[in-house]
Amino acid sequence: MINLDVVHSENIRLKNINIKISEGEKIALLGKSGAGKSTLISAANGTVNPSFGSVLWKGRNVLQISPRMRSELATLWQDLRLIEELNVCQNINSGALGSKNLLWALRNLLGSIEINECIKCAEAAGLEKEILNRNIFEISGGQKQRVAIAKAIRQEGEILLADEPISSLDPELIAKMIDLLLGNSTNNGIKIPNTVLVSLHQPELIYKFTRVIALSKGKVIIDKPSYLVSQKEIEWLYDKR
Amino acid sequence: MKLLNVTQPIITILPAITILPVAISIIAGLHFGGVEVIGKFILGFFDPSLDKIIIKSSLNGLQLTLATAIISWSISLFTGIILGFISSNIFWKILDKSSLVALLIRRILAIPRSIHELVWGLMLLQIVGLNSWVAIVAIAIPYSCLVARVISDQLDSLNSAPVSALKQAGAKPINVIATSLFPPIIPIILSYGGYRLECAIRGATLLGVFGLGGIGTELQLTLQSLAFNEMWTSLWILGLLMFILEKAIRLWQKMLLKPGFVKQKLTYTLSIIAILILLSLLFINAHGIGDFNDFKFNSINIPNISQLKSAYIELPWLRLIGNTLALTFLAAGIAIGTPPLMLMLFPSQVFSNLISILWTFLRLIPPPLIALLLVICTNPNIFVAAFALGIHNSAIMGRLLKEQIDCQGSKEVEAIISTGAIAQVTWLYGSLSKISPKYLAFAAYRTDVLIRETSVVGLVGGSGLGWQLIESLSSFDWAALFLVLTAFSIITLIGEDLSDRARSSLLKLKRNNTFKISFTG
Repeated sequence: MINLDVVHSENIRLKNINIKISEGEKIALLGKSGAGKSTLISAANGTVNPSFGSVLWKGRNVLQISPRMRSELATLWQDLRLIEELNVCQNINSGALGSKNLLWALRNLLGSIEINECIKCAEAAGLEKEILNRNIFEISGGQKQRVAIAKAIRQEGEILLADEPISSLDPELIAKMIDLLLGNSTNNGIKIPNTVLVSLHQPELIYKFTRVIALSKGKVIIDKPSYLVSQKEIEWLYDKR
Repeated sequence: MKLLNVTQPIITILPAITILPVAISIIAGLHFGGVEVIGKFILGFFDPSLDKIIIKSSLNGLQLTLATAIISWSISLFTGIILGFISSNIFWKILDKSSLVALLIRRILAIPRSIHELVWGLMLLQIVGLNSWVAIVAIAIPYSCLVARVISDQLDSLNSAPVSALKQAGAKPINVIATSLFPPIIPIILSYGGYRLECAIRGATLLGVFGLGGIGTELQLTLQSLAFNEMWTSLWILGLLMFILEKAIRLWQKMLLKPGFVKQKLTYTLSIIAILILLSLLFINAHGIGDFNDFKFNSINIPNISQLKSAYIELPWLRLIGNTLALTFLAAGIAIGTPPLMLMLFPSQVFSNLISILWTFLRLIPPPLIALLLVICTNPNIFVAAFALGIHNSAIMGRLLKEQIDCQGSKEVEAIISTGAIAQVTWLYGSLSKISPKYLAFAAYRTDVLIRETSVVGLVGGSGLGWQLIESLSSFDWAALFLVLTAFSIITLIGEDLSDRARSSLLKLKRNNTFKISFTG
């Protein structure tokens, strides 16, 4: 991200953001609500147009990359964005749409296909096989969140941009999901993105990441390796500002 | 693990498969001399006649169509609202009377509603001769019943708690109706009323095609003489009117639905409607085409039992009903399936705008004229009739689909784009998925409208109840007419019931759904 500004309805969402993410980095994105974390993730995946500056992916402007390159950027949305009209399996499969053709997309709407891949992703996300046939509106909030996680890993991207992916989960599942997203657990041969940017509200988890970026009022105020982030800085981020 | 789970987005597209047998049949019957004529028709779009006489004639026709539509629309709205109130359960509940009366009225109204305005027009034409009031009454009868159905459905879906509370407080029935029923129903009347005016214009145009005057007659005559440039003059003028009308209605509805000055707004609305009716009446009288003295009541030979019996034996029921159902099935497949299929295959904004223009004109050209255009280059059969009916209705469904898609947010689309999906897949999963239950609910309704409309293209199809209906009418075979009408009504009512069930189950599936179909006409 180079000199990135995002202004929406005269509100400055992001101001002068300069971030370079290297392959293999596991980044925790911190900040109070409204600090600009979601906007930063949307700008990173190219769904928000910057008012100034640019976002480059492998040296190319993210707004102009091909669909194939776009599929390398997997996003886990804060509001999940699951398709209510499809069942769990079909939703998980929709993560793979970027690498498939129209015919495959149509087949996925007719029934459950590539079930083994689906089951692997679902199980990795802590979902039981039996849930795959259920409609989205029949499952709980926590289950929906894990379906979204399964869908994101089904995409097999190179980088994962996750916006508060663990907000509806219990403590045990939080640890499990963070380990999954950071590639710390064995996962049945599923390709987990090597590079991860995760926004969260649990600063106690930053020790699992290699780097911490913190935002406040749309600006980067902390950007350092996670082991250098002090408790004081965290308190300052959440309480003193 | 359940392998088959046919989802709603794919159900919206699958019916388009019916285009295959229809296209094969049309292509097999093609004769190339006719194709050249069709080419001329298409080119006429870009080169409408600007001859003053032609424009004047089109404008005159349009005035008559508009006058017919406005008068029939206002009659049907007024009558429909009253009938809607008295056919609702809640109305009789307020009066502390049995709601069986409401049920009885609803059942009676279902019969005139199930008969298409064209059939009413042709029957009245046989009885009273050519007169503008024939078209007006022909439209007003089924439309009043349609409005009544919508109003009573809406009234019965209202929360009845305020009614109970007011009754318990000792309010008089008339006050309960005015306080608890009018405020929630007025926005529905405003929104639905505007839509019905558009339908009335389309209905009046269609009746014109069958000789009842107006722009429809202009279209029919120019098509018959293959004067396509002149035909396009009428179509452009009609298109312009519909465009202005649509914008004006939206603007007016927006203004009316803003809070405040209710009394003033209602007075303005009623005054404008009154002025429009007055102008329409003056126009019809000035042209001497609406004179009541012109009515010549021809006697109807009411058929006796033995005539009915012999007509019943003579009519090939299986073929008639089978063909009507086949025609409905094929036309519904085209009408429902092709709009999402086209938008999925060509999701670009440029194509979307181009197809919107095409749909605008397909909505304007009455299905019998589309069918007549087609038989210039191919053999007349049930497939041609299905295609004509199907593409006219696909233009109605297409507009609806586009409106729904334009109204929804961009989040779902963004989510699919971010997976790297191609444009077609993005449209299918991001745009179509969310609105597919609503679209299918409208499609269920459209299918029962199509059963009624099969009578409109019956002649080209050369078979089915619609064809038999018109045949019996022109040969004054009242016994056959009575039987065919009865069969038609029964099929339409069964279709209506099935589509109601399909619609409510589809809408039930949509969670947190506050949507209710109000446009059922």
